[in-house]
Amino acid sequence: MKLIYIGWMLGMALGWPRLVAQTPDIVSLTWTNGRPSLEFRLVPSVSDYRVRGTGTLGTPGSTVAGKQSGTFWTAEAAADGDSRFYRLESVPLAAETVRASTLLNRIAYGPTPDDLDRLATLGTDAYIEEQLAPEKILENLDEPTATGPVWRKITVTGTGSSSKLYVYLSGAGDAYLDDFRLIAGASDTGTAPNLISNGNFEQPLAAANWTTTTNTANSARTTDFVQGGNASFHLVQAAAGSTGTDAVVQTIPTALNASTTYTLSFWYLTQSSSLQLTVRLSGSGITITVPLQGDAESPVPYYARLQDGRATIGDLRAWHVLHAVQSRRQLAQIFQQFLENHFVTEYSKGLTYFDERAGLPNAWSGPESTRQEFKENLRWRKAFMAPQCTFHDLLKISAESPAMIIYLDTVLSRGDYDSATKTNRIANENYARELCELFAFGVDNGYDQGDLEQISRAWTGWTVELLSTNQAANPFAPRTTVMINSGLTNATERNNVTNLAGLWSFRYRTDRHDTRVKWVFYERDTKGNILTNSPKTVPARFGPPWAGRTYGLKLNNGSTTNGIQDGYQILRHMADQPFTQEYLSVKLCRLLVHDNFHHGYDFTDSDTSPEESLVHDCMLAWENPQNGGPKGQMREVLRVILKSELFRNPNTAAAKVKTPLEFAASTLRAFRAVKPDGTTTATADAANLVASGGLLDRAGRMRLFDRADPDGYAEDAGSWISAGTLGERLRYVQSLALAGAGLASGTGVRSSPDSSGSSRIDPSALLTLRLTNGANRSAEAVTDELLRLLFPSEGAGNLSQYQALAIQFLNTADNGTTASDFSRLVPGTKEYDGRVRGLVALLLSTPRFQEQ
Amino acid sequence: MNTPHILTRRNFFSTASGLAATAALSSLTDVPLFVQKALAEGGLGQPDANGRVKKLLFIFLRGANDGLNNVIPHGDDAYGPKIRDNIAIPVDPTQSWNVQGKALFPEAGTTGATFAYPYSLPLGNGFAGLHPALKFLTPVYNAGELALIHRVAYPQQSRSHFDSQAYWETGAPRANMVKDGLLYRAMVESGRPGKNSLTGVSFQNSLPLLLRGSRAAMTNLSDPTRYDLLGVPNTLEGNLKAGRALDAATKSAFPGKVNRDLLQQQYENMRRTLEIFAGMDFSETGNTFVDGDKTDGNKPYYLFPTTNAKNGAGPSGNTNPGYVVPTSAYGYFNQLKSAALVLNKTDALVAGTQIDGWDTHSNQGGVTGAHASLLQRVGWSIYALRQYFRRYADQCRWDDLVIVTLSEFGRTTIENSDNGTDHAEASVMYVAGGGIKGLRTDATGKVTHSGVFNCGPSDPVAWQTGMNGSMFQSTGRYLQRATDFRSVMGKVIRDHLGASQEQLNRIIPGYADPNQSLKSGGIQSQDKVRITGEPDLI
Repeated sequence: MKLIYIGWMLGMALGWPRLVAQTPDIVSLTWTNGRPSLEFRLVPSVSDYRVRGTGTLGTPGSTVAGKQSGTFWTAEAAADGDSRFYRLESVPLAAETVRASTLLNRIAYGPTPDDLDRLATLGTDAYIEEQLAPEKILENLDEPTATGPVWRKITVTGTGSSSKLYVYLSGAGDAYLDDFRLIAGASDTGTAPNLISNGNFEQPLAAANWTTTTNTANSARTTDFVQGGNASFHLVQAAAGSTGTDAVVQTIPTALNASTTYTLSFWYLTQSSSLQLTVRLSGSGITITVPLQGDAESPVPYYARLQDGRATIGDLRAWHVLHAVQSRRQLAQIFQQFLENHFVTEYSKGLTYFDERAGLPNAWSGPESTRQEFKENLRWRKAFMAPQCTFHDLLKISAESPAMIIYLDTVLSRGDYDSATKTNRIANENYARELCELFAFGVDNGYDQGDLEQISRAWTGWTVELLSTNQAANPFAPRTTVMINSGLTNATERNNVTNLAGLWSFRYRTDRHDTRVKWVFYERDTKGNILTNSPKTVPARFGPPWAGRTYGLKLNNGSTTNGIQDGYQILRHMADQPFTQEYLSVKLCRLLVHDNFHHGYDFTDSDTSPEESLVHDCMLAWENPQNGGPKGQMREVLRVILKSELFRNPNTAAAKVKTPLEFAASTLRAFRAVKPDGTTTATADAANLVASGGLLDRAGRMRLFDRADPDGYAEDAGSWISAGTLGERLRYVQSLALAGAGLASGTGVRSSPDSSGSSRIDPSALLTLRLTNGANRSAEAVTDELLRLLFPSEGAGNLSQYQALAIQFLNTADNGTTASDFSRLVPGTKEYDGRVRGLVALLLSTPRFQEQ
Repeated sequence: MNTPHILTRRNFFSTASGLAATAALSSLTDVPLFVQKALAEGGLGQPDANGRVKKLLFIFLRGANDGLNNVIPHGDDAYGPKIRDNIAIPVDPTQSWNVQGKALFPEAGTTGATFAYPYSLPLGNGFAGLHPALKFLTPVYNAGELALIHRVAYPQQSRSHFDSQAYWETGAPRANMVKDGLLYRAMVESGRPGKNSLTGVSFQNSLPLLLRGSRAAMTNLSDPTRYDLLGVPNTLEGNLKAGRALDAATKSAFPGKVNRDLLQQQYENMRRTLEIFAGMDFSETGNTFVDGDKTDGNKPYYLFPTTNAKNGAGPSGNTNPGYVVPTSAYGYFNQLKSAALVLNKTDALVAGTQIDGWDTHSNQGGVTGAHASLLQRVGWSIYALRQYFRRYADQCRWDDLVIVTLSEFGRTTIENSDNGTDHAEASVMYVAGGGIKGLRTDATGKVTHSGVFNCGPSDPVAWQTGMNGSMFQSTGRYLQRATDFRSVMGKVIRDHLGASQEQLNRIIPGYADPNQSLKSGGIQSQDKVRITGEPDLI
């Protein structure tokens, strides 16, 4: 038998841009009862593998019917004749499909179903340009008018068990209520008389209508917020209510009839609170308990608290994650996280500083440290909204941030003369070291220990102080003297930080500064003495235009307030050096392309990998922006990466592993489609995802804004994937997809969620949206749709085993053995929903869904 | 390349059977060729003549431990307030420092607090003292089972945390192309990875580089009580269906990509680990391990302080005048307990965890404070592990175990303006175990040999005293090394774990290079520093 193995590509005729796909190699050909069977190597992003057969070499041959499963293809029938030639063809996935998938996995927190549809029509180039100009994308997530506190109407029907109406909260707190109506009948058309007295609170409260009890004594009529008319009711609960003795009560003037049906309605203002509001008749003929929290997904209440300076670190994290899931400015959001992680600071260290050093009460220290983290992030976000945002802009924000000044110990660093030791004090090296090693140049790249000692002296005197609000941007301002309570008589109390109004801000202390000359990036002799005529030169490996440039920096700003310039000059000087260009370019490539980019390429030798070339292209774009303007424009560098061949390559798709944050956001986004009524098929309980015991904590302790080590959270797969973290990811998926979904008992489903909190996905509703004409009852159609949504870059040709597995899963009862035809399950039933959710949990648990 | 999946073992969720699985030496068919060859060479991971398998427990002190305030060179006049005005550890004016003998253990008694003694503890070599927060090391030290090795580092020291930790973990300083961990390589040489057993296990946030490598997956868990993987569909039926499907899904073939081998190995490893862990009790209620000896002048205490009630207290409620560890250390002691359990109850060869927070740039503290609080963890850890493996030994006895601590570098000799210390060079390593030879005595009980290495009056590489001495020898600011950490690790891996010299040359590549002088010492070729070679501790 003559055999020739030929791998052959069908995809070359697809036109520009062509896919750089690989040819599938045939590993072996075997025969069983005359039927040929091929084993071959899969190649990335293939929609189909086909086999052609012919008896005569040189003829195209015809397609041979067969079945593929993973790396095996077997013909359906025996070959005719005893001599056949076979060749294997792969049909590549459309280049746009692959690139769209990679884009949505790298410059977004995973594809949503709607995004996949949108990119298919918009095109990937247009999407890149759209995302690179976030200031032009409408974004109103944080604006109260969009999704913020809203008046929400509740209607409930029941019987008149009593004429006493109770209103109370589940704990200490407050709420706004308005427009109570109670009518006889099962529905309120607005015409029946309102049985409740002063239900709209337009009249003063009186014993004849509403009465308070001890626990609600501070409740009052208010004009602060109104749903209708001029007033509403402000319910203030001092301790949890449960019945008439601790509620707000109305004895309804016209006695109710226990056997009559009544309908009660009222409005309440949603707010960010975990409290529950209960409105009921004594005896609970009518009873309703609703969460005060309005749209749990809205970042508005978090944003409002953050702006106020009273937010917790949990609020900041939740706000950040909600934007990751929902923002239309996905690239800006990814870049925000990159910056926060690159210029890493630790919330806990700030808290400790404010608590132990600055003299704030413990309860104030957390919100203050949170405010500093929030503030630097807002500044980065704002900076990136400028089209020509440079790395220098971002670096400066980090250096000036009190969060950084505290985190890397600059806050206490002194370099002034110490008359006791007759030398200048030794500056703390921590910030200088990480500025060189982690924020700009990269480890051992263009600097040495001597440079660190020089640089560390430049930052002496950079500290943090409570400045009056109108002086908060003036680093030379003294501590505020504006008192909150000027009536205090005790001088110590009057001047305590707790009685001073202002903002903790960057302050420069000339008296702590080391004013001596600093020689940064100069060569030294063997004894360590600085050679002031020998600035360091950029090594030859960088090639043109950088190699051979000198980059020494002499700082001689003297002893006045000019000393503050030492730091700024260093930032300006370092921001665009080739070392910084290289280090940041490599980091961005690792973020957006794959893990295997390295530092220290020799850009002059002939041994050039695509990775090295891309880094070099980024550096050139940094050095010479295409559209002019300053060096170091971040959008220019990002564009080079996103438009590169390497980024388009199918091998780049799904080549990275999601961090816990990316995994959490992507599980929600994958099922998040907008329904015709404006609601979505997935909702994030962000507060829980980032809480202790939530997914981010469990799957590798990714505590946002609170990384202890200055290297930031890792981007590489090996740092996030181990037995324990995979186990936690799988638990989360089970929790998200199955627990708390209200499935029937007896299906082996635990009812209380674990690390997913109240986050919800509704895959059945998603399928109803996307599969019409009853296709959502077809195991094949459901499988194909889910595979396409979850693994868009893989291609059906590479998903054959997942596909067979999923179809079998859908057609099997929950006991795992009995056949159970999926098409007989009715959408909308718990059985259908449970089957679909089981499959979703499986697919999200696979190795492939850990990838991005 | 392809990732054909050969996961052919039991169902994902079969449970206790995994416990019985040990290294089945008879079936070498799935062991790669390079490993079979190694098996023929050394005893690494194999039972010795007495049927015992030797094991290793590591504790990485991340952030760089200030060794000069661990084992303190009081014999050097330069140490003291002159260089450490706010953080120097004072000597007790009532103690005599020249007495040769055992180390001081200041008992708390029934009234004083556990860590009330505010002075350095004389180590009995006339030169060095121990930080008082490390007082629980002295019972181990006096038993001759603890080596205190000062001045440990490596040539061309990096002062970057991340690079230097990487060098300690790869065992290949300044060789950035070495991407796998030295304990990972030791496990590969044992021939054990890939079988249905555990080899290297860590309990921390993520798998440390020490145990990372491309050809086999080691295990890391942060919370071993959550081994019931599919904790949500909680019934047998739900588990069966989901488990089988997931098992099949992980076997599906896909085109090779950058991280797919890693994911494949770790999924398989997760399945194996969870099977084995399902048969173990990692719970808080299972934490009943108690000291056999009276501790600190009172009744026996719990060995793994994971709650206030178990911290400086015994099961009958007897309590110490103070906690033996800070209350913030409970999470760490849970992880340490897990590491001990895994070594004792499974066939794992290496287990460990880490203590974070050693980067004391500001407000380091002296006798008390941030650094002292960390040292308390170290002291109690080694004390408690000794008692645990002596009293509760199953697969691992105290004689079978060696504990090592690692830390990426030491800190500046002179304190900075923030009452802290910055990145420097040499620091301290602790090596403990039933077979470790530290302090030695003759038949009469007289101490003949100190357990302090490189911090005594008669060191092979002498401690130079004074303001131009050892503490200032490197660039005028740093303590210079006298021993390469690789010599310590190499000694332990060869003479304790049982690697052959040829295996050790592969595990720690520097051993194959005579210019490194790792085994016998001499002038190290790269920076011309005289080093001791392997310390005589096994």
